[in-house]
Amino acid sequence: MAELTKKDLVKNWLLGYSSETCYNYERLQGLGNTNAFMPIIRALYPKERQAEELKKYLIFFNTEPSWMGTVVHGITAAMEEKRANGEEITPDDIISLRSALMGPLAGIGDVVSQSICYPILAGICISLALNGNFAGPILFEIVYKVLMLGLGYTMYMLGYNKGREAIVDLLQTGLLDKILEAVSIVGLMVVGSIGANNVSLDLSFLNWEFVNKLGTITFNVQKDIFDGLLPGLLPLLAVLIVWRLLAKKVKPSTIIMYIFVFAFLLVAIRFLMGQYA
Amino acid sequence: MVLKAIVVALIATCSTWWFSHTITRTWLYPIWSGFLVALVMGEPLKGMMIAAAINLPYVGFITAGGSMPSNAMFAGPVGTALALVSGMDANTASSVAVLIGAVAVFAWNAYMTVNANWVHLADKFLAEGNLKMVRAMNYVPSFFVSLVLNGLPAFFVVVYGAKFGEWLQAFPQWIMDAFALAGGLLPALGVGMLLNYLAKTKLIPFFFLGFALAKFLNLSTMMITVIGAIIALLIYYFQNDPDKVGE
Repeated sequence: MAELTKKDLVKNWLLGYSSETCYNYERLQGLGNTNAFMPIIRALYPKERQAEELKKYLIFFNTEPSWMGTVVHGITAAMEEKRANGEEITPDDIISLRSALMGPLAGIGDVVSQSICYPILAGICISLALNGNFAGPILFEIVYKVLMLGLGYTMYMLGYNKGREAIVDLLQTGLLDKILEAVSIVGLMVVGSIGANNVSLDLSFLNWEFVNKLGTITFNVQKDIFDGLLPGLLPLLAVLIVWRLLAKKVKPSTIIMYIFVFAFLLVAIRFLMGQYA
Repeated sequence: MVLKAIVVALIATCSTWWFSHTITRTWLYPIWSGFLVALVMGEPLKGMMIAAAINLPYVGFITAGGSMPSNAMFAGPVGTALALVSGMDANTASSVAVLIGAVAVFAWNAYMTVNANWVHLADKFLAEGNLKMVRAMNYVPSFFVSLVLNGLPAFFVVVYGAKFGEWLQAFPQWIMDAFALAGGLLPALGVGMLLNYLAKTKLIPFFFLGFALAKFLNLSTMMITVIGAIIALLIYYFQNDPDKVGE
């Protein structure tokens, strides 16, 4: 009876982090997964069968490989173990289960890693770094890796020990949605503070001086209109306009172009006002 | 300088060639990859601040299924190196880096396209039962692809980037002003992209709350995170068992 040792599982989990070393448009993580499953296949099958058993991994595969998607590899390792011990599991069974899970796990994994944990962490760390505090990048590196490896390992072992039920439970009880929603609140507040601290638009160059009998009266668009209304009004408007454009499916690269065009327009106005004379 | 350029080139190479996410996962982000460059260049403080400024527009950038709206992995190390050798301030560096990142999307697309060849070779080696070479195909060739696409440009930026600085000095003031203006607005893109992902209608007020706390009360991002966590916990508990709250 062939059994997987803890060492085989840990190797499989760790090699999964090389899923995107030869990342490509044709099969995305296929080759990386073939590489990651070598310790499993070597432990379970005789030498002459190994190459054949690996073929089921050298196909199109893509999930979020570091934070949550490791659960797919855990489940797969458990299936391989059963298959090697004579249970009725075909390569097609393994392939179809993996293909069924990769999409949902890519979705959850990307939300957790890229749209919640990263922005919160980056928001805090960037503001530290911009203030000249070395804790910024160092905290970013350490906390990111601890969360990623901790969650990645937990999910892998959950998948191996509980099989597909692990993930079905997680998806169906709605618990995950509630947790994600709660964390989104933190995310949105951090995003708000990033916007407040880092987006800047200052129109104080729109400045006129009028001289009459009483003396000089200055009128400054920034000071006399926008700052009086609400501090940070213009940056907030900029964020809301960009958001609106994105919601209308305008590409980020197009928005970058708009921003540069807008910047040059403002400079053109300054030019017309004679500020570069 | 040549030695520094080589190490920076390797950092830029590994920001795209992810040999293991246990190490390289954070190299996707300018705040870390740029900081590594800053250490190599011997200007940790200045470089760190530039790297952080470059990261700002990328706070909301999400890569899914290998698609990439703008190449942060290139903009981070190359942008930081360029800013350091040419003496740009952080705001200008941020807008220059975003432009570099937009152009460098082509490097990412080329990388993702060329790498398919190594998978075809791996097919052949697997059919022959040569597992060692299958592993080699996963790790080795893509390194050289990234070296050419990302490492070489980074190398040249470090060696010849000072020239760019002189060139920049000769720019008229109005162009520099426009770049600084754009640099101030670009973080709105990162924030907007995140809003687009995170915001369900009923949660949007929390964005305004975060904005207001930072702008009106001058609270730091860390303080706002703590307040946000408290609110999130409260809401989570109330949602889970509304009847038992207070017990």
